[in-house]
Amino acid sequence: MSFQVPIGPQHPALKEPISLRMTVEGEVITDVDIRLGYNHRGLEKLAEEKNWIQNIYLVERICGICSHSHATCYVQGVEKLMELAPPRRGLYIRYLVSELERIHSHLLWLGVAGHEAGFDSFFMYTWRDREIVMDLLEMISGNRVHYAINTLGGVRRDLDEGQKAKILEGMVTLRKRSEYYFHIGANEPSFVGRIAGVGLLPKDKVVALCAVGPTARASGWARDVRKEDPYAVYGELDFEVATADTCDVLGRVVVRVKELLESYKLCEQMVRNLPAGDIAVKAPRKVKPGEVVSRYEAPRGENIHYIKANGTDKPERLKVRAPTLANYPATVEMLRKGFIADIPLIFAAIDPCICCAERAVTLVKAGSGEESVVRMSDLRRQAIARHQNAPVKRNAVWPL
Amino acid sequence: MAVVRTLLYLVVYPGLLFLFVYSTFCEWFDRKVYARLQNRMGPTHTGRFGLLQPIADFFKLMAKEDIVPEASDKRLFTVLPIIGLAVVSTAGLLLPVWNFDLANPGLTSFSGDIIVVLYLLSLPTLILFLAAWSSTNPFSTIGGARVLTMLFGYEVPLFLTILSPAILADSWRLAEIAAFYQAKPLLLLTNLLGFLVAVIAVQAKLERTPFDIPHAETEIVGGTFTEYSGKKLALFRLTFDIELVISSGLLATVFLGGFPGGAVVGFIHFVVKTLFVIFLLSLLRALTSRIRIDQVVSFAWKYLAPLAVLQLLVAILLKGLLS
Amino acid sequence: MTDAELIEKLKADLGDKVAEIANPARRRLFLKVAPSDIIAVTTRLHDAYGVVFLSTISGVDNGETFEIVYHFSTPETDFNLRTEIPRADPHLASITPVIPGAILYERELQDMFGMIVDGLPDPRPLVLPDDWPAENYPLRKDWKHTRPEEVIPGGKS
Repeated sequence: MSFQVPIGPQHPALKEPISLRMTVEGEVITDVDIRLGYNHRGLEKLAEEKNWIQNIYLVERICGICSHSHATCYVQGVEKLMELAPPRRGLYIRYLVSELERIHSHLLWLGVAGHEAGFDSFFMYTWRDREIVMDLLEMISGNRVHYAINTLGGVRRDLDEGQKAKILEGMVTLRKRSEYYFHIGANEPSFVGRIAGVGLLPKDKVVALCAVGPTARASGWARDVRKEDPYAVYGELDFEVATADTCDVLGRVVVRVKELLESYKLCEQMVRNLPAGDIAVKAPRKVKPGEVVSRYEAPRGENIHYIKANGTDKPERLKVRAPTLANYPATVEMLRKGFIADIPLIFAAIDPCICCAERAVTLVKAGSGEESVVRMSDLRRQAIARHQNAPVKRNAVWPL
Repeated sequence: MAVVRTLLYLVVYPGLLFLFVYSTFCEWFDRKVYARLQNRMGPTHTGRFGLLQPIADFFKLMAKEDIVPEASDKRLFTVLPIIGLAVVSTAGLLLPVWNFDLANPGLTSFSGDIIVVLYLLSLPTLILFLAAWSSTNPFSTIGGARVLTMLFGYEVPLFLTILSPAILADSWRLAEIAAFYQAKPLLLLTNLLGFLVAVIAVQAKLERTPFDIPHAETEIVGGTFTEYSGKKLALFRLTFDIELVISSGLLATVFLGGFPGGAVVGFIHFVVKTLFVIFLLSLLRALTSRIRIDQVVSFAWKYLAPLAVLQLLVAILLKGLLS
Repeated sequence: MTDAELIEKLKADLGDKVAEIANPARRRLFLKVAPSDIIAVTTRLHDAYGVVFLSTISGVDNGETFEIVYHFSTPETDFNLRTEIPRADPHLASITPVIPGAILYERELQDMFGMIVDGLPDPRPLVLPDDWPAENYPLRKDWKHTRPEEVIPGGKS
């Protein structure tokens, strides 16, 4: 017997709305259909109506977890268009925040992976330690989610000696804890039994479907924009690209923990070698006509912005490709022939960050299974009609 | 007088009221241990140390709107939570903590009561399956299928391990089994392996991590309970709490030497031993992640069942040696 | 291989299929090709230069024409393939036979610009809702968003 299981748009395993229609036979998935657009906010259109400075804060709001990734990707592109050279101290602080954001994102993901696998203790411990890095970010930028530290030509806040010491101290604690999690994640039998061999994605599929980030690196495709296209300060720093060759969810866990350890190393290097000087230069208001492709390694993979300027104070076109979109075709491939129990794990393993919208609701009638698409206003009309016709409930009026 | 006594027995102690209070206390204990193991505080606000939190949760759920899905089998859907609660409460009457007197057996202590308890503890699983099936939701349907699949995994090892101490004690009556081991406490050590197997099987029966597959919320939303809300969900949760008490009480009777020393001392034994078993169950819950349904069945038949058979063989050989 | 050497090699290899090759920054190549040659050039790059990874496809509304930029990258260089199609007849050939991962980007182009991508295996709308009015393409420059007034039955008017 085969029937359809709707995962989403609202589902406990999903933190953001997306719809996965699974056709299952018993416990085995036979077909998958992904529907996007539940969260589309038209940001690319909006960006054409705002000026270069306003857009920094607009693109920052594309995502709540990798907010700094989008802002940095945009800012480094616009700086190339403006032919600005930000001071090195500013760049070091900007990419220090990048690495801290990667740490916070990967710790968050480890917790989510634990939760999806029903391993809530793992979730509690990783999220406790995520607080350390969140506090550091708050100390540096004043904010916990949208750091707003970038500006055209540098950063908006400086670091002092006390803050540098705090960051180094935090890295020591985090490194110790991460090594322990690495040990747990790779050795706890029920957890490993649950994630090993799940969501297989061979390397040739990764290449064909253009997957990015830890998903690609866990299948042995060592691509990292920080290494192959070293932007800003990454050419001066010493780090390695973390890979795994198991091609499954276990590999993705291993890659992310290894990246955590690399990020601690990078943060320490940047804090220790922080150059003296200014943190920002003044940026012009308008930009000469031109175009630029800006690439950035976000925690979830390659983030790419294509920016086209037409000589005014507003962009002609801003194209944003977030890493999650590139990973969807690979997800469909991974889910096929899997178990229902693996859906949340496989889907969480790409670390989905859904930024796309819809103003319609799909209703499935429980008895007949027929679907109809209803506009929000119709739904509201139905709700009001239903309440008007319904008899007054016994407990509708609260006697006092 | 006899009528009043029977009523007190059914309603107050050890009937519904006592089971309600003690099972909510056990839930609090379980939550607190689980939380402390995860570096959290657990319930703190309602009552002293948050002791009243499970009761508050129960009454909150009772006051919530109760929705019955249109496509469900309404009569079955409504009546199942009540049957489930009745079944586990009945099993509660049979524990030898309130009918410990061997010379004067009450109505609820008889030869073969161990079988009746095991039978009554199996029924909630079937009720869960029926509840899931009658709600007709795809998530519930998958949950119901998982409930039954898991039943085939853990039930046989559980029966084998619980019956092997009974074979050694040569009795099918819980009070007699307990009395046998109170007389010869060293023999309890021979059942240690069975105890461990039984703890794991009980964890599966209670559908707690790593066996919370039928209502794994990240996979199939609420699983069996997806469509349940309000009073019915409250009753189901109470059913699980009472089942936790009864199962740990059963394990304490069979593997930990029962509850010697009359009404008061015996009761203290009961509290300490059940809490010990619940502590083990909480530990298991905190330390593991949820496994897949196929892994449960293969684990149960590859490891649990052979170990249970081994325990049975040990019991039979020992019995031959002793006699 | 430096960018200059690569440009020489590409010019010799692809011949008149490439109208111009620009190199505005290090590691960034912009190739201009005719829309009819897009599959041929992509296949050649894919097979001979190891250009297997497509980052994304950007569409730009230039008034009379639509400009489409395919952003490819290899560990050494970023190839940006640019082509233009007329607004009156916005047909584009799909590159999914060469790079299957392009499907979502091409579906997005259909949604947002109203281009017609020929040969897509799954041409359903991607991000727009099911009841989105036809002939409305949000990223075209002449499309302006007007929020429809929501009438709430029974509400204040």
